[in-house]
Amino acid sequence: MSSMKLLVVDDSNIVRSRIARVVQSGALGEVTLIGLARNGEEALRAARHAAPDVVTMDLTMPEMDGLECIPALLALHPKTRILVISALDDKSTAIRALRLGAHGFLPKPFSDDSLQLALTGLLDHQS
Amino acid sequence: MAALKESDLRLFVDSVRRYFDVTSRIAPEITSAFLGVGTLPGHDFNGIVRFSGRFIGHVIVSLPAAALKELLLIQRETNLSQANLLDAVGEIANTLAGNARKTLGKDLEISVPTVVHGRSSGDTRTRAHPYVITFRWNTYPGMVCVDLAEVG
Repeated sequence: MSSMKLLVVDDSNIVRSRIARVVQSGALGEVTLIGLARNGEEALRAARHAAPDVVTMDLTMPEMDGLECIPALLALHPKTRILVISALDDKSTAIRALRLGAHGFLPKPFSDDSLQLALTGLLDHQS
Repeated sequence: MAALKESDLRLFVDSVRRYFDVTSRIAPEITSAFLGVGTLPGHDFNGIVRFSGRFIGHVIVSLPAAALKELLLIQRETNLSQANLLDAVGEIANTLAGNARKTLGKDLEISVPTVVHGRSSGDTRTRAHPYVITFRWNTYPGMVCVDLAEVG
């Protein structure tokens, strides 16, 4: 089986690094980190360059936020699975993200264990 | 403009506890909660999130460098540059503000965080006496200032 390609989208450098560390620890199996994006526009540029299988997507970001980026990204790559990771953990925001096409929602703050669990669910579904 | 209710303030106290408990597995001790008068008991690294919509004002999270370095090390982050410390305090402010929307309502608009190195002047105040929560996490002091008022 080929390696899953993951794109991380978050305006916080420490959050991007943290997700990258979990992925690169090998705990999720064969996953290749194909990019770290700081906002929706950078995510779309990265996705045009290489199609991600899975994306972790923050919502509150400058330039282009996550709710705007989700449908644009899925228009480029309809099979990409998106895990929203956001502090906006109210029900209406989660439902809105899922209606836009996201496949999962992990509220901030999150532990490494909960991140692994959420990503494993998405990766299993993708494979 | 109506002030925050005590139950609304409670959600920020719970969010502070939850943030540190989840990200470091070390729960903070809330040391005081009071109405701020004059200069706030802040620290060198400040994350500020502004609110608009149903509430206006802002939330400031203030921590010393040592606390942020420890928090990053616990998360296995080895880049302890000033930029990353500012990023960390901004992310805490972003998380507390985002979590608040669950209770304060979806009509609450939240800005991306701004960060300040150096003692904050307390920003332009919405209320004469904002709520101040002080806490101790892993021996380090910290402060959250909740300066919000409900519109209408």
